[in-house]
Amino acid sequence: MSEQKISEASGPVAAAPVRRDPLALVVRFQSLIGLVVVAIGGIIFSPRRHGEILFLNPDNIANIVRAVSETGIIAIGMTFVIITAGIDLSVGAVLGLSSVVTASMMISGGFGLIPTILAVLVMGIVFGAIQGTISTRFRLEPFIVTLAGLQAARGLALVVSGNQYINISYGEGPGLAPPVFAVLGERLFNNTVPVATLVFVVFAAIATIVLNTTRFGRYVFAVGGNERAARISGVPVSMVKISVYAITGFAAALAGIVHAGQFNFGSANDGMGYELTAIAAVVIGGTSLFGGAGSMVGTVAGTIMLGALANILQLNNITPAMQLLATAAIIVLAAVLQSLVRRREGLGR
Amino acid sequence: MSAPLLSVTGAVKRFGGVQALRGVDFDLKAGEVHALLGENGAGKSTLMNLLSGVYTPDEGEIRIDGKPVTFNNPREAQAAGIATIFQELDLVPSLDVAANLFLGRELMRPGGLLDVPAMRREAKKRLEAIELAIDPARLVADLSIGQRQVVAIVKALSYASRVLIMDEPTAALTVGEVERLFDIMRKLAATGVGIVYISHRLEEVPEIADRVTVMRDGRVAGVTEPNAPQSELVRLLVGRPLDELYPQRAQSAGRTLLSLKDASFRLARESAGWQPPSGISLEVRAGEIVGLAGIMGAGRTELLSALYGTGLAGRWEGGVAVDGKPVKLSSIGAARDAGIAFVTDDRRGSGLMLRMAVGLNLVMSVIRRISPAGLMSASRQADAIKQSFGQFDIRPKNPDIAVGALSGGNQQKVVLAKEILGNPRLLLLDEPTRGVDVGAKGEIYARLRQLAAQGLGILVASSEMPELIGLCDRIVVLRQGRNVAEFIGGVDEHTVLAAANGREA
Repeated sequence: MSEQKISEASGPVAAAPVRRDPLALVVRFQSLIGLVVVAIGGIIFSPRRHGEILFLNPDNIANIVRAVSETGIIAIGMTFVIITAGIDLSVGAVLGLSSVVTASMMISGGFGLIPTILAVLVMGIVFGAIQGTISTRFRLEPFIVTLAGLQAARGLALVVSGNQYINISYGEGPGLAPPVFAVLGERLFNNTVPVATLVFVVFAAIATIVLNTTRFGRYVFAVGGNERAARISGVPVSMVKISVYAITGFAAALAGIVHAGQFNFGSANDGMGYELTAIAAVVIGGTSLFGGAGSMVGTVAGTIMLGALANILQLNNITPAMQLLATAAIIVLAAVLQSLVRRREGLGR
Repeated sequence: MSAPLLSVTGAVKRFGGVQALRGVDFDLKAGEVHALLGENGAGKSTLMNLLSGVYTPDEGEIRIDGKPVTFNNPREAQAAGIATIFQELDLVPSLDVAANLFLGRELMRPGGLLDVPAMRREAKKRLEAIELAIDPARLVADLSIGQRQVVAIVKALSYASRVLIMDEPTAALTVGEVERLFDIMRKLAATGVGIVYISHRLEEVPEIADRVTVMRDGRVAGVTEPNAPQSELVRLLVGRPLDELYPQRAQSAGRTLLSLKDASFRLARESAGWQPPSGISLEVRAGEIVGLAGIMGAGRTELLSALYGTGLAGRWEGGVAVDGKPVKLSSIGAARDAGIAFVTDDRRGSGLMLRMAVGLNLVMSVIRRISPAGLMSASRQADAIKQSFGQFDIRPKNPDIAVGALSGGNQQKVVLAKEILGNPRLLLLDEPTRGVDVGAKGEIYARLRQLAAQGLGILVASSEMPELIGLCDRIVVLRQGRNVAEFIGGVDEHTVLAAANGREA
């Protein structure tokens, strides 16, 4: 369901108010509700030290939102693609490629910060647009095109890096990155807000506006709602599809830059599996894999919820294996809830 | 007199606050074809679902051979001998006919292997029992819709064999296939099977039914003979006489909006079963509703989709002009720029975003207009939605619910309203009332006539001859992609049919 509410604006048309299905409301805000539930659970089950709830410790909160910023940025882009009923599996690999290119441009290439960032972002956009173009031009499933894209990006990253970590050293002069780049690993405002999180939040805010208030955003919903109907209505379907893959490419490149800045190196093998975490966050956020319905706020909440859940499990020294199982259960729960609502509305089977 | 094969007395069914059935009595005799008619929402699907065990009644009872029964699920209804064939046939297209017939009850060899030859033999026997020569090894995907329908019947009958409930079985069939289906139904009835036949098509009723029950507003409006006059059936269906299903014709027509002069659509690649316009000449003037008649495959749909750019790739040759200007009409964008709008015959597949809200669907073709500088304007969107709700009586009057939850008639109004919002000069309609109930049909016809009176030109393709004759000012008959005859609206049906089939009237 789109976040947009029509009846408020349409005045006398909405003569007959329909009873809202409570389950539909739960699903509409499922990721926010989930986030609240996880937060409460976090408080209850959090280990305490000297009476302090460790889960609520500002450092811990900052850690949670910092840890999810990269997959969060990717999930924001992924939301556009999934609303068009597509999928982009290449994002994790593009993140790896982007971290490598960022590091090598500054360290071996001697490029400045701004040219490097611009070049990497353009590379991400072009990479995504090429995948979108191949998929629309040859009518291929995005699944298969971006699976190939994943391999291509990893391959390119290995070529660029020579399968080595490219460490980023800071300073003035050739072979060194400008010290300001290291800010991506730091916190601002009295050492409270991680810069990586700020990038995530700003990107999410812009994406929310684009999705919900622009013509392009409406086209995205239309293409996912029914591609043929959209085409007949004059929506430039191919342009929209190419654009959403350019957006995921941009998001993955942005995440790659943040990754390089946070960890001070570029690595061809980083970002593995990020695409799946991002898809999980999007689905938990209430966006339908069938397309045509979704919400950016949901994706952000879904991302943070997954991070908070991992955090509380870690705080209690629960094994990574159990963390995976918990994530699995949440994905299934989110999907089941959505399916139930579809069936109640008489739209699913 | 012995008890009827199947009877329902005083059936009541509520869904939340909605009373779908308000005390329905219905009975079916062995060997009878009993037609069940009703508009969308009249309760016939609910009744069908009670009989087939999908729902249980809140009040009232179901009897078989006079003995009360309760079905908690479709399996129990099947066990009692009631088989139901839903509109969406539950066949697996990628499996062969025999595999479909035995799906879930496969014949096995010892050791847990499928006994394919035995299943094929048995399938062949069952198909031949109703004189249908389909190779049981063929994939269902390769069968025509009519053949699939028959396979579904055979499958249903192999579960249960006393009562057959058929929901709109002829909706997707050609005339020839309908005849075959009716033959099969008569044969089955002759063996003592009772058939409940649910349909929208009034004209089929006298041909196949022995008795007719008409439902309205969750009640039985009347039980009549099948050869009751159509006007009587329509009165029962809608609860009032419907003398004015078709509006008055236009007084005069204005300037020429669409002109085809010996125009052909050259396909980039030939395609079997797609009859492109070839050497067609016709005109649509402002204020006029022009109908396209023709048998299946005459090229009605193909003409509309070639004009709008949704069909196969190709280009127009010969004289094609819109509003006096020669045009190429090479793409959807070109057609829209020329002021042409198109309403597809497949509203669920290519007309609507079913899971999206009614309001969002309505503004779909005017997104550009309501998003100045690329930003969606909530007030312009609200105005557009209001305008559509003012033009069409879309129910429920709520733009926020998913369009897929609306009835067929209301969905069709949404598709129409959507295109009309774009202020086209020329409207192309393909089967504008397919699967739409009589009441909504009347409203759609009246609205189309009103729009024409305001200067819109309308070109409508339809396989329903009475609709063309009643609605249109002129009817152009197509055969093999070209116009072979033209009649003034109100002409008698046989004359048009004769021209469509290439015979002298």
